[in-house]
Amino acid sequence: MHGVRRHVVNTLSAFYAVLIYGFIFLPVGVLVLFSFQDSRLPIMPFKGPTLKWYEAVLSDSRLTDSMINSFIVAMGSSVVAVLLGFLAAFGLARYVLPARGLQRALLTAPLTVSYLIIGLGLLIMFNAMGVPRSLWTIGIGHVVINTPLCFAIIYSQFGDHQVNIERAAHDLGASEWQTLWLVTAPMMMPSILASFFLALTFSWDEFIISFLLSRFDVTLPVEIWGLLRSGLNPKTNAAGSMVFLISIVLLVLAELLVFRRFNGRVNRK
Amino acid sequence: MKPQFPVKKTLASLGIPLLATASLFYHGAGVAAGSINALVWCDHTDPGFIQPFEEANDVKVNLKEFEGTGAALSILEQSRPGDWDVLIIDGVDVPALAKDGLLASVPEDALPIADIWPEVLLEQNHKIDGKWYGMTELFGYNTIAYNKDKVDAADMLDMTSMWSGKYKDRIAVYDWHTPMIGLVAMGLGKKTAELTEADLPEIKEALFKLKDNASQFTDVVASQTALATGEVDILFGGGEWLTGVLSQEMPNLDWVLPKQGGLMWSQSVTMLADAKNPDMALKFMQYILSPEGQAALATSSCYWAMPANMKTGSALNDQQKGALRWDQQKEYLGNAQLYPSVSPELNEKMEDLWTEMLQQ
Amino acid sequence: MSAQSSWKRWRLVLPALLWTVAFFIVPLGFMVVMSLWHRIGGKIVATWNFENYIEFFTKPHLVKALLNSLEIGLTVTVISIFLAYPLAWIIAYRVPERWQRTALLLAILPFWTSYVVRSYAWLLVLAKQGIVNSFLLDIGIIAEPLAIASSRYATIIGFVHFFVMLLTLTIYANLRQLSPNYARAAADLGAGPLRTFWHIILPLTLPGVMVGGFLTFVLCVGDYITPKILGGSNELVLPQVIMLQIGRRADFPNAAAMSIILMLVVTAAYVLCARWLKMERS
Repeated sequence: MHGVRRHVVNTLSAFYAVLIYGFIFLPVGVLVLFSFQDSRLPIMPFKGPTLKWYEAVLSDSRLTDSMINSFIVAMGSSVVAVLLGFLAAFGLARYVLPARGLQRALLTAPLTVSYLIIGLGLLIMFNAMGVPRSLWTIGIGHVVINTPLCFAIIYSQFGDHQVNIERAAHDLGASEWQTLWLVTAPMMMPSILASFFLALTFSWDEFIISFLLSRFDVTLPVEIWGLLRSGLNPKTNAAGSMVFLISIVLLVLAELLVFRRFNGRVNRK
Repeated sequence: MKPQFPVKKTLASLGIPLLATASLFYHGAGVAAGSINALVWCDHTDPGFIQPFEEANDVKVNLKEFEGTGAALSILEQSRPGDWDVLIIDGVDVPALAKDGLLASVPEDALPIADIWPEVLLEQNHKIDGKWYGMTELFGYNTIAYNKDKVDAADMLDMTSMWSGKYKDRIAVYDWHTPMIGLVAMGLGKKTAELTEADLPEIKEALFKLKDNASQFTDVVASQTALATGEVDILFGGGEWLTGVLSQEMPNLDWVLPKQGGLMWSQSVTMLADAKNPDMALKFMQYILSPEGQAALATSSCYWAMPANMKTGSALNDQQKGALRWDQQKEYLGNAQLYPSVSPELNEKMEDLWTEMLQQ
Repeated sequence: MSAQSSWKRWRLVLPALLWTVAFFIVPLGFMVVMSLWHRIGGKIVATWNFENYIEFFTKPHLVKALLNSLEIGLTVTVISIFLAYPLAWIIAYRVPERWQRTALLLAILPFWTSYVVRSYAWLLVLAKQGIVNSFLLDIGIIAEPLAIASSRYATIIGFVHFFVMLLTLTIYANLRQLSPNYARAAADLGAGPLRTFWHIILPLTLPGVMVGGFLTFVLCVGDYITPKILGGSNELVLPQVIMLQIGRRADFPNAAAMSIILMLVVTAAYVLCARWLKMERS
């Protein structure tokens, strides 16, 4: 009886998971398929395969430049966001500071405000101060949206047992900074990495802030949006698919090299 | 037009200390000796158009593309003097910019005036107090584009079929209030040049009927997708700029000027008054207006358009000429009207009307 | 506490606080100021009044944009939670431990394709001759293709697609943080799996679900691309109206006023949400 029910639950679970994963992959499958379509038109029947749109992407310097820009902005803003978030989480988790609740609220406040509003506010401020728009201004915007996320993730993972280890390090004569970099940071690495990857994902695909705050140098989503203002362009399918395929490779590598290692470390503790 | 933000003063008086931080990120426009900055529509970013010029003149053309006149004006408004050398802008917007002192005048003999279609020369736009402030480079029509396998081509010759009910839910409408209100006004027998607020109630009625008949109000890609997938059979507001680029793969896509006429759009090339590199900017303008530059622009990978220089015909092949309706231009130009050019107040009312219609 | 040690404690939090104040609070201040001004004849004039706000609430089609945003945001949040919860549960409890992260990564991967491109891909999927309609026609559920593309349904589907992934991650993290002892204790007391879920697991994960749901709502209500591409402009949401102000008219005062209205409404939702959470807990 028990076994039968278990079997039913497992079958239903598998069915449900396949359904939802199917839903998640549906548009991506279409996108990748039509990136190989030997026609400008993304309609069936499928003609191809061809690599010409990939060639077109690689020979379009504006598109490749925007990919590099996106990469720079995503990397740079994520590093800054993780750093700010980690230090703040450490400070708030370790020390009794006045108005702690208020500080936490302030740090997480950007999460409750739409990207459009954050971008528009920055645009108005930069305009008023005569700061020209550039990759820097986009990066600033992305740090604003990602710092609260990194802070929240890392802060939630600070527990008591880390305190004991830190105290031990301190007793053994390590300075505060030494403890921070040599003991705390490595210990918190899983949540630091998790928040870094999440920040990277958010920054990479963020459109509206980048759109409002860019000038000559644009990020990939803005460039693609521009390309698609004026007509169907299968290059954009190829660009999207390329990023997708590259990220699969990177994630597999990350999975093999980084996570496995830290997993082992966490399990041993 | 130039930024007149009183914010700066307010800020200084409030003494917000951020300016110091912000100045860390302050960069100039990055004008090297051999470069010009141009604010353009996407067709000018086609490497097939831009590279020959860059190579011939050993210059880097920094391009910033915009996706609408408003966006361009808004970028310009937020820029500082010297940020831009060359600006591509709709013909109707040239006089206002010139009167605000934003544009440089160009010597008459530097422009191929005799080679430009007389109907698109638009002297009233480009020539102010005897000086030329720009030149039409490309033009085309907002009219009716359709799938000729699916609809009765005869119906497309009457604009009122768009809201008669015969093609209910098979129509996509181009989502931009200025040309569409102009087109609808023409369908009602009005002249776009004489639109006043008194015309709005009648236009509103037709617009609301159009809303009933349309299945979507879309941008270029979404409407091309809808035409290709059979989601709709007609794009009201489309023309060669939308079908041309697909003409080889979807020969069943066609466009026509109905008997009420179509709306002619035109884009002009201009030079900014405070351009940092005026000599190279002028060379770039001349390249744009030469048959070679014109042909590349007319059939760019972004969108197609009619070249303003009549001599470009020799640089285009028959298929390209067919998709552009090269041979019908005389007749079409005779039956076309210009975009409504209205006061900011009326424009705001028109935009509100459009928004209201979408929310209907 | 000596001044020196106080500084020592502050200096870790200070960079993040300063950043948030400089690039989040101050810009909001600029926006509030801007919203009290007016764009007159192509210039922005410091008029210092609430006209932009009054204008917004006296134009029914603008208020409708706000209502559309809220309706869509709420629908998307509810649907996404209902779809994501079972998946998170399956990954947390039915998938072997060492495959769990792979399962999660598999859910995130599609979101590394570009957002804009992905939205246009949905247009193809949902078209009358698209995959969804062809499939439904083939299995005979429908006789006529459904007009889903370019409608509110398409907008909702596009949103749900993204937020199912986000909520699956959030809820999964919450489920994993639960100690298995709770469930074990319940089982010892004779509760069946369904009752254990209903009375133990669900209430314990509810705060996390609410936080995830709120984030979904915020991101959804402030998004421009999805409704713009998938909605076919058959109706407008507030971000579309705000972008119209900036893009075509450079009317920053109006855009700022609308943004602040949107922000206040979302904040109100947040306060309600937090109240409700507190009540649940006490």
